[in-house]
Amino acid sequence: MKGKVHGYGGKMTLGERLYLGEIFRGLGITIRHVIRNLLHTGDMPTVQYPEERRAYSPRFRGRHRLMKREDGTPRCVACMMCSTACPADCIHIVAEEHPDPAIEKAPASFEIDLLRCVYCGLCEEACPCDAIRMDTGIYDMAADSRAKFYVDKEFLLNNTTDGTR
Amino acid sequence: MVKLTIDGRELEFAAGTSLFEACRVARGEALPHFCYHPDLSVAGVCRLCQVEVEGMPKLTIACNTSVREGMVVHTRSERVRRAAQQILEMHLINHPVDCPICDQAGECGLQDQYMNYGLYESEVSISDKVNKAKVQVIGPRVVLDKERCVLCSRCVRFCDEVTRTGELGIFNRGDRAEIGVAPGRQLDNAYSLNTVDICPVGALTSLDFRFKKRVWLLRSTPSICHGCATGCNVRVDHEAGTVYRLKPRRNPAVNGSWMCDEGRDTYRELHAASRLSEPLLRRDGELRAATWPEAWAALAGAAGRELPPGAAVVSPRQSLEEIALFAHLAAALGVPAAAIGGGPREADRGEGDDLLRSADLAPNRAALGWLGLQEPAGADLAARVRAAKGAVLVYGADPAADAPGWREAVAGRTVIHLGTHRNATAEAADIVIPLSAWAERDGLFVNRQGRVQASRRAIARPGLAQEDWRFLADWLAAAGAAEVPASLPELRRWVAGRVTALAGVDLAVLPPEGLVPDAVAAGSGGES
Repeated sequence: MKGKVHGYGGKMTLGERLYLGEIFRGLGITIRHVIRNLLHTGDMPTVQYPEERRAYSPRFRGRHRLMKREDGTPRCVACMMCSTACPADCIHIVAEEHPDPAIEKAPASFEIDLLRCVYCGLCEEACPCDAIRMDTGIYDMAADSRAKFYVDKEFLLNNTTDGTR
Repeated sequence: MVKLTIDGRELEFAAGTSLFEACRVARGEALPHFCYHPDLSVAGVCRLCQVEVEGMPKLTIACNTSVREGMVVHTRSERVRRAAQQILEMHLINHPVDCPICDQAGECGLQDQYMNYGLYESEVSISDKVNKAKVQVIGPRVVLDKERCVLCSRCVRFCDEVTRTGELGIFNRGDRAEIGVAPGRQLDNAYSLNTVDICPVGALTSLDFRFKKRVWLLRSTPSICHGCATGCNVRVDHEAGTVYRLKPRRNPAVNGSWMCDEGRDTYRELHAASRLSEPLLRRDGELRAATWPEAWAALAGAAGRELPPGAAVVSPRQSLEEIALFAHLAAALGVPAAAIGGGPREADRGEGDDLLRSADLAPNRAALGWLGLQEPAGADLAARVRAAKGAVLVYGADPAADAPGWREAVAGRTVIHLGTHRNATAEAADIVIPLSAWAERDGLFVNRQGRVQASRRAIARPGLAQEDWRFLADWLAAAGAAEVPASLPELRRWVAGRVTALAGVDLAVLPPEGLVPDAVAAGSGGES
């Protein structure tokens, strides 16, 4: 870009002090961009959110989900590794006895306070059963009360991404 | 004395000391072990505590070796380390390694040893592990997982040697060997949960504590059990104001490493629905919640209307300081000395046995005697209260439930109940003051041996409940008494000065095993 950059106490040239010339110069830049964008719509940097969405990396950490066993019950064994690892203290699990002695332990309740969550992914990493994942890609969450961000086991179990695995 | 060298350090031990204990002193930490336990016989089955003794061709297990003059022992050599690794690998062959669902995770011997002696890359295939029964309820309080067991036999030895009930045994051989209860029997002795404590792995877990809390989240406070007059040393395990379990703390002079199952249940009363969390005043015939200023006004009114209060009853469940201060307060309020006492005597009667459980369920009865307070039987107590005029102060006790004739004796009189729970006396009282339950404040207790032991505050008090001595001191000040202790240490000094048994004892520095005052040890002072 040409032209001087003025700091405090800098002196403007006569042309700059007349204002009008500079205003038309600025308008010209704007109009140039409008025309270029109209001719090359594909190169526009703006994303038409929410109709259009940017593709995120598969490693992007979105809203959590709980994985299921083949029979549909949660894979989680309520070992509390995730809630222990959680730096935001947002995972609250109550354990119960599972009727199958081979499984032994299961979550009676599994709640995440999404407003406290910092989406660090330590819970995924701590999980020994691959029961909690953050691969839903969901990042736009809106609700009209705080209570709705306090999500329970049922919500997390059915909180799947488009390509359900 | 025997002189020997361990890891290059020359040390002296009494003859007959086990090499295991000698190594514990020399190393500052125990050798790796599963089967050794200081309060059980030596089994020598886990083979983990092997050490190198110069002159011996093979490694030897320290637990089954006594110290000898001139022994030269190495506990940190490569040969010893390799042996521990190999033995640990063997222990892990058939272990399911299901730590995420195992309640022992976090306080597991196998996990701890693995951090030090793990092979990390085992040569044994995990596919052909021997499967055994899981989640077997073998008694009213204990769950057995046979896969996790390392066959250290501690639980079997405990039932054979300590309780002498012999419910458990090792069945089958080789890698099919497993712990089990004899057919048709249950692990249902009064000390069954000690097997869970001494189990170094997650094979035995407590039905009550199972899955309630991960152990690494718990904080521990050393305290004493308030279940009976034995005063077993315990650890109160709690998190965020909730107590989850009591575990015994080793004190050879009182309880060894054990405590009874009933004692472990005493934590429940701390969170009972009947726990008082605010002052209650009787209005229009019903107890209603009140604020502290209202409660103080009511106390002043009750005392003013019926001055002096006629009788004061204190429970032997309160601490030494509290009983002393309460007696002092009652006297300052004008209660005749003869009408201040504990009771009723027959309350707190339990079963008892010759091991730890005491037939006297009050943890501090000896303190009543030390403070010169009488303890009349129920009928006598009621008669004594009936004879006295004026308001009746009840602290901690529940005479309405325990003393026959109590209700008639106090009919139409103001009853002031200082306590922790909404018991029968509180229900019938006019003024109910919420104070601290046993895990919510510091206090000293005198057990059946005459041993003074400290109970420590583990959790916060609920709601508006107050610390006992502070409330009593405030009331003393309000009553215009001259001697009002300003802090707990000051109160303890004041108590020590009033009790002849405690002459010359500094209650601020109690040894970890508690203290039997010389005057008590020399005299007849209590059974032992």
